[in-house]
Amino acid sequence: MEEPNATASAVISFAEKLEDDLSKFYEELAEKYIESKETFLAFAKESRKNKALVVRTYRETITDALEACFAFKGLNLSDYLAKTTLTEGVSYTDALKMTIELEEKATKFYLDAAERSKSLLATIPMAFRKVAENRNNRKLKLKLLLKNLK
Amino acid sequence: MGILEEPIKEVKTLGNYIGGEWIESEGNIIDIVNPAPCKVIAKVPISTKSEINMAVEAAKEVFPEWRRTPPLARARCLFRLKELMEEHFEDLSRIQTMEHGKTIDESRGETRRGIEQVEVATGITSLMMGYNLEDIAAGIDEYIIRQPIGVFGIIGPFNFPFMVPLWFAPYAVATGNCIIIKPSSEDPISQVKIAELADEAGFPPGVWNVVNGGRTVVSGMLDHPDIKGICFVGSTPVGRDVIYRRCGETGKRVIAQCGAKNFLLVMPDANLERTIAACMTSFYGNTGQRCLSGTNLVVVGEGLNEHEYNTFYEKVVDAFTNAASKIRVGYGLDESVQMGPLRDKSKKERIIGFIEKGIEGGAKLRLDGRNIKIVGDWPHTCFLNPTIFEDVTPDMTIGREEIFGPVACTMRARSLDEAIEMIHSNPYGNAVSIFTSSGKWAREVQYRVQCGNIGINIGVVAPMAFFPFSGMKDSFFGTLHGQGREAIRFFTESKVVIQRWF
Repeated sequence: MEEPNATASAVISFAEKLEDDLSKFYEELAEKYIESKETFLAFAKESRKNKALVVRTYRETITDALEACFAFKGLNLSDYLAKTTLTEGVSYTDALKMTIELEEKATKFYLDAAERSKSLLATIPMAFRKVAENRNNRKLKLKLLLKNLK
Repeated sequence: MGILEEPIKEVKTLGNYIGGEWIESEGNIIDIVNPAPCKVIAKVPISTKSEINMAVEAAKEVFPEWRRTPPLARARCLFRLKELMEEHFEDLSRIQTMEHGKTIDESRGETRRGIEQVEVATGITSLMMGYNLEDIAAGIDEYIIRQPIGVFGIIGPFNFPFMVPLWFAPYAVATGNCIIIKPSSEDPISQVKIAELADEAGFPPGVWNVVNGGRTVVSGMLDHPDIKGICFVGSTPVGRDVIYRRCGETGKRVIAQCGAKNFLLVMPDANLERTIAACMTSFYGNTGQRCLSGTNLVVVGEGLNEHEYNTFYEKVVDAFTNAASKIRVGYGLDESVQMGPLRDKSKKERIIGFIEKGIEGGAKLRLDGRNIKIVGDWPHTCFLNPTIFEDVTPDMTIGREEIFGPVACTMRARSLDEAIEMIHSNPYGNAVSIFTSSGKWAREVQYRVQCGNIGINIGVVAPMAFFPFSGMKDSFFGTLHGQGREAIRFFTESKVVIQRWF
């Protein structure tokens, strides 16, 4: 099978959509589960900040001389697609589990993208790693919410 | 993957921006065609001599006032221009893809490079400072001041319609000069957009002018006594035989950055994976239509015996061919695409001519880009896929002449000395790169090779805005280069003052 080869533009668009979707998802969670409203709204805000960071870093880094069209060799974006809509009547516990899975997938996307482009795209992989680190903190908080339920 | 939204919705006829006004040209009108879908996206006038004269008059008239404007106030116009360019970043980038054909990543990269020039020029209050020394003799001081010169002409190429005129324009106006830009008549929309932003940024009328057109405008610039200097980027025959010669005859300053035939040397200790990734951008970025494109890939066998060398050569050429054959070609507004079409059909035909010459000359065609395979249902008119020739020698037409398209020539050199001889046998001297882990070999290339821009493990040796864009031999005609401090020197006269008070 041919190895995928995503362009920088496609990867950044994917990250933008990912953060948009997650931001909306957290806003929905905040409305549904009042007990953790503040946490979810903070996550939604952070997703918007992540998006701004990634787009800004890309636009300020990209030049005609960088290997932008060839930097993400082996990165298959479809591997990181995830459903960000809540099923009708889903329990709070299941919603939290789903959220942790979403965050894990998103973290993997950012880390994989950073690893592939680290020698080619200067500050872009650094921004990806920073977003992945933010996600680790989120996951800890989500796991704590889940633990407190049990 | 879908196509990004096109910012150009309707076909308009571009005007000339003269003296702060948009003026309809009386010249003939030609079509600007988006080379991927082959659709007309704008119309551009081929302006007349009287129109270039009108622009010179407008620029000349405002020059004394602009010159007296404090450098910090001039810089503020550039700060506002930079902010407007950031605000319109995406539209400016997509316009480049539409008018030129390059991928959206490449267009955004070009936009960024252009903005960086404006950013550097905002530092004019430091860049333009002179220097002084007290007591060069008892009670006598000496100092140097930099003064603007007047009106400059900037003649842009088709391959970087947004960025290249900005190698010069921000520095020219920051130093207090006035400019007339003649964009390429093939893709002038970007420069018209920049002029709209310059207008919004508040440059006084006449400081920043754009006159669309072709040879008449260029001749008008070259012959006009009130144009004090010309900045040109384009082919060597025009740059050397027309621009440089005529500027010499008329006493104008000149920067003529011209053609190239760039060699990339792959040494046995190179990191092959990263070298190949860098080579893809170098050879096929901007569809090979770049004066910094790699064109000759020289596999160097320094320190290897014959068997080892043949194995190494095959390994490099195999990896290069494998990667090139996977490049996705298509419309640049499709984010999955890695290489766009050529600017127009005639350029494609010219490059096919080179491919035929390569075959006739005895080179082995390893990958034939004439077998068109593209993403999306676009007419094949301007598309060509990556092409690779093997066992090319420096005396073959394809190994010697500038092709300006997605055609790579792989060559054999048994030693670094032989590779450097190959480079020096070529008349051009724009860029050379070496891929190696050896500091010694890298330094040899840096020290010995006669070319303006040297890359060490870099595929596209594009100098940043605060360094000059260099060039030697048939790749550059002039003395000072564009960008950074050299541009400041080009656009200013150094005046020496020696003072003594009785």
